[in-house]
This record gives sequence, structure tokens and C-alpha cells, in this order.
Amino acid sequence: MHDNSFLARTIHRRSFFRVAGAGAAASALMLAGCAKEEDNNPTPINQQLVIGKADSVNFTVLNYAYLLEQLEAAFYDKVVTTPPADLLPGELAYLTDLRDHELIHREYLKVALGSNAYDASFVTQFAFDFSSLTLTTRQGVWTAAQRLEDIGVAAYNGVAKHITTTGYLKMLAKLASVEARHAALAHEVLQAGSWAATIGTTGLDAAKTPLEVVALIQPFVPIEISTAYLPTT
Amino acid sequence: MNILKLLANLAETNPEQLEQSAPRRAALESLGRFSAKALAAALPFGLATLPAQARTTLTILDSLDLALQLERLQEALYTRALAVTGAFFPADPTFRASILAMQRHQQQHIVLLTDAIAASGSTASAPANYDFTGTKNGTQPALFADVFTDFDQFLRLAQLLEDAGVRAYKGQVEFLSTNDFILQTALQLHATEARHAARIRMMRKQRGATVKPWPSPTDTSITVVGKTDIAYAGEDALQQYLPDFRPVPFQLLPIGFPGSTVLTQGVPEAFDEPLTSAQATALLALFTY
Repeated sequence: MHDNSFLARTIHRRSFFRVAGAGAAASALMLAGCAKEEDNNPTPINQQLVIGKADSVNFTVLNYAYLLEQLEAAFYDKVVTTPPADLLPGELAYLTDLRDHELIHREYLKVALGSNAYDASFVTQFAFDFSSLTLTTRQGVWTAAQRLEDIGVAAYNGVAKHITTTGYLKMLAKLASVEARHAALAHEVLQAGSWAATIGTTGLDAAKTPLEVVALIQPFVPIEISTAYLPTT
Repeated sequence: MNILKLLANLAETNPEQLEQSAPRRAALESLGRFSAKALAAALPFGLATLPAQARTTLTILDSLDLALQLERLQEALYTRALAVTGAFFPADPTFRASILAMQRHQQQHIVLLTDAIAASGSTASAPANYDFTGTKNGTQPALFADVFTDFDQFLRLAQLLEDAGVRAYKGQVEFLSTNDFILQTALQLHATEARHAARIRMMRKQRGATVKPWPSPTDTSITVVGKTDIAYAGEDALQQYLPDFRPVPFQLLPIGFPGSTVLTQGVPEAFDEPLTSAQATALLALFTY
């Protein structure tokens, strides 16, 4: 399977105490359970997902991009594995392409990060939580795709300036425009002519700061994302 | 490229002149509030220190001027198409509306880039003469003879220029990295161009062309070898390299089932590649005289 390693890894104990081995869907509940149990055990633990590095803005930004690509890859993988019954002709092929692109982006960033990947030492990867989305209809799937792709574009637009090495900047730029193409597609399939929805009155596509983006993706991540090392502008 | 002109201007300009704020203020007034405020905040760092960092700053101006020339080219293409009388646009009203929106975006980009160049104390290069048939005003055979009578041919040229625009911005970002505001603005312009390119490609697909919203090895080629093929040169790369020049070992990564086309199709699709200034300039030259 293409995504074995993604599902097989477990989360780092420090980041998500006692969830190792638990079913993915239960992780949010498990977290709540952990918190209660911790009342009997005052040892402080860090239950935040730390995706940055204190000493490297480049690896922080790459990890941030990596988390976003993981999220998108997991989303499309779920959709392609269990597609809605009312997809129109050609739409499953598009969703499969999108899945492939995001898998490639995810693995590309993972290779670039190597041991600096925020999850490099996780025993089991956490599972993203898509329960807030409607994935049983094409309307729901494409609406969600639109949302995730627009977030991705705005995230790249807003964060790339913090990269201090041009090699990494070029890496991210290669991905950013592909995400914008995805976003335009996701808009168009639901409503012809809606591709420009995010382009403002000065002709600029949207940009969001990492803190704005984290707030938007937190519903899909079963652990609180730490913003400690993320750029605030 | 107007490097020589910029160098000449630079040599004649003294630092005090560069700090004069009156022209900058005037230029900024025509921008939207957000842009004006942000530009005013950003420029003193990047550009008022011109003499000390002439090389870097010159490159930023040069990049902005190249972008401006590409935006003008695209804007002129859409303006001429929208002025065609008779049944040029298809019945589907979203087609014309999309081209109108793209024209508007290009006009906004032109204002933004012109003001950024003016606000830095430099002068944007003069607009060129355009010949979208590619004959250079009748001096050579046409590349797009029916560009304003055959809507599909118009879309092919629009796709070529929008895809090239995405690639050209991507090629410039490294030269803009010393100025956070300008870099972010360029990336936001870059994303707009990518949405344009995707929409044009989808319009072509609706009209029966074999094409995806992103450049793909499965697209039917729309280029002429030795002429317009520069727009897609290297876009189908099967390999990517990390900043330390290590190739990314896609064949070893969990990205697809053995025997799938992910390596030969997904990988080239998943990355948009940059165009160099020289490549973008050569492409511009095909349609200007």
C-alpha cells in the first residue's frame, strides 16, 4: 500500500502520551481520558503537537508544510478509498490525481526534513479527524477539498518569506502553484466560474499566517498544535 | 530585461534622491489601502538602502520589471480578445466572465508592479508592441494566425502564457527573498497566475482538449518546437533535487503501487518548475516587436 508508513507510525510519547496502539478514530477521546488520568499522576507531560524546531526557522516552515501536505494526502486517500456514490464522470480520476500529488508532496518534504521531521521519532502516527466533514456526497467532498486547498495556498503564500535558504524557498514555490491549481479545480467542479473566489481586489490570492492556518486545521488534528515555534507574521 | 538601463539610472542617482518621498507617496495613492500601507512599510527596508545593497536591490527591480512585462502581455491578449466583435466567445457565459476576471487581475497586477517600481525610485520599462499571431508585425510566419477568430487557438495561447507566467514568477522568487513584503506579494501573484492557468486549462478541457488543470505528460502538446516549446521546457521533470543536490528517491518512497504511473505521471504533475529570466524573456520576445 502506498500509505503504509503513514498509518503505521505511532505518535511520539512526549507529544501524545498513552495513545500508542490506540485506534485512530478514538484518539480524541483517548486524549480526554488521558487528561483525567493525569489528575492522579502529577508528572507534567506535553500533550501538544510540536511541529517546529526552536533553532531552525527553515525546518519549522518545512515541518509546517509537511503537516499540511500530510493532512491533504490523508484527506484524498480517505476519499479515494471510499468515494461518494454520486461523483460525476472524471471526478474520481481527478481526486486520484490530487491524492497522488499530495502523497508526493508529503514524501518529498519528508525526505527533505529527514530526522528533522516533527514526527520522525513517532512510534505510531496520529490519524487526522475528518468527522466534521461530509464525505458521502460529491458536494461534501469537493467543498472540503476547496477548503483544504485554499488553506494550503494561503499557507504557502503567507509563510514562504520566513525561509532563509533559497533552496528551500524554491522547493516550496514548486508546490505552491500546484496547490493553487488544485484549488481552482475544486472550486470549478462545484460551480463554473468560481475559480477566482479567493483573489482579492488587488489581484492577489490570499495569504495567511501560520497562526491563522493552525486555527483552521486544528479541527482535523486530534492533538493541540503547538504554535510555539511558528512565525507569527 | 533592462539591467543596463537600471545600472545607468543607478549610477546617476544619488542616495538623497532615492529617499525623497513625494513620488513614492503619489504612486502609492493609486493603490488600494492594504497595498499602499504594506508597500510603504516594506520599501524603506528593501529599497531605501539602495547604494549599500545595489546588487540585490537591482535584482529585485529587474524581477519586478520582468513580471510587469509578462502581466502587460497577458493583459493585452485578454483586452484584444474581449474587444472582438461577433461570435468569438462560446455561449457559456462563464467563459467570457473568466477572461474578463483575468484581464482585471492583470490590470491590478500592472498597477501593483508599476507602483512598486516607481515607489522604489526607478522607472518601469516602456510597454512593448504586441503581435499575438507571433509574426512580429508581419515579418515572419505566424504561430497563432487565428488567435482572435478561433477561440480554441486563443485558449492555447492563453494557456501557454499563463503557465509561463506561473513559471516565470517561480523563477524570480529567489531574487526577491531579501524583501519579505515583495516576496510574499510575488507569491500571491504567482498563485493568482496558477489559478488562471488552471481555469484556462479547464475551459480547454470542456471544449474537448486532452489537458488537465496542471501540466501533465498526458496533455496534448500545444507548442511549436524551437519557438513556443520554451514555455514547457523542463516542466515534465521526473526528478527533483534537494538543496544539497541529492535527488529525491521517489522510486523508494511510499507514493504508489508498483507498476503504477505515479512515478512517470504523478511526479511531473506534482511540481511546477521555474523558468529563468532568459527563458521568460525569450518567450516574451515571440509576441513583441
